[in-house]
Amino acid sequence: MGGVDVGPTNGKRQTNIEINMIPFIDLLMVTIMFLLITAVWVNFSRMNANAQIPGPPDPTKEIDPQTPEKALNVHVTDNEFKLVWKQGATVVSETTSERPKGTGTDLRYDDLATKIAAEWKQQSSHQDKSDKKQDQAILHVDNRLPFKEVIAVLDAIYDCKREMVVENNEVKSFPAFNMSFSVK
Amino acid sequence: MSGGGRISIFKKQHHHDPHSHAVHKPGRRLMHGVPLHFVHKRVAGGGGRNVNAPLNLVAFIDFLIVTVIFLLMSFSASGEITVDKSISLPKADNVQDVVEAPMVAVNGNQVLVDGSPAGSTRAIEDLGRMQKVDELFDLLKRKRELWKSFHPQKPFPGVCVLQVDENVPSLVVKSVFQTAAYAGYPNVSFMVRKRGKTAE
Repeated sequence: MGGVDVGPTNGKRQTNIEINMIPFIDLLMVTIMFLLITAVWVNFSRMNANAQIPGPPDPTKEIDPQTPEKALNVHVTDNEFKLVWKQGATVVSETTSERPKGTGTDLRYDDLATKIAAEWKQQSSHQDKSDKKQDQAILHVDNRLPFKEVIAVLDAIYDCKREMVVENNEVKSFPAFNMSFSVK
Repeated sequence: MSGGGRISIFKKQHHHDPHSHAVHKPGRRLMHGVPLHFVHKRVAGGGGRNVNAPLNLVAFIDFLIVTVIFLLMSFSASGEITVDKSISLPKADNVQDVVEAPMVAVNGNQVLVDGSPAGSTRAIEDLGRMQKVDELFDLLKRKRELWKSFHPQKPFPGVCVLQVDENVPSLVVKSVFQTAAYAGYPNVSFMVRKRGKTAE
């Protein structure tokens, strides 16, 4: 038994109480069992992608022709990754990274991630902390490429981070690129 | 507060009644007929070291309470996000938390929207080129309209989550991705398993 002793009572009604430990322990055990059974042990996460589909023009807005922004085109071929910065149809720069041969389930392209980060530092026009726009990465993959390879490339693209000022002048780290698929 | 639990011990019973072989007094029968007296003596705690183990209830209850608090903190009332058993998700490092949005599951054979069938992946593979999945398009469009009718003042977020098996070819992924975008969901997320931290 566990109890609460509040000292001598001086002849008055007994104020000390005792708690029966057995039902208390039983309750704790049952609670633990319930929580263990209903516990979620596997945590899933997500990776963003963005589809840029041209919609009908907004009649309320005036058309303001702008020069197209630079975008990083990532081509996945059999032996290499080709990183091409394009502004509209104009090729600004081009570089390659070797594609390691991997057949396992846990694919990582660390060299590609390093190369993309270096390219972003050289070519990106959205490096200022106050600039809230992300650079666009367009992924060109073969139709037969397994999805795990697509995710491995996407993971390498999102490995490149930049700092951005958010609300209350707080600086947070965000992925430097926003990814989309090429439909060609 | 202090307390202690004790393991019960066996007590030797002596019968002096000559008719005791026929009628027995109620009581413990266990170990009664065992002739191994040294075992009986040992179990009863006679002679050597006492085998009764006192259990400190304070530490025990502390442990239980800490376990309950930990499990309560990690408890999710909304339940687990269901992933189709036939889908093996790929792993990634640079991830975000899952948001509440329509779930489009793509396994080796079919496309499902929140568990309801919404097209065949075989048909896309057989065709060999990107195409709009009509059933998926209709289901997603209906979901979008339903959301808009419930939230007429809010802008539609256009987010849907794709649970794609790691071995599904890109052609299927791109077709589903494009269909979702056409149905009004341009912000597509891919569900992945977060890779565990590795030693640096």
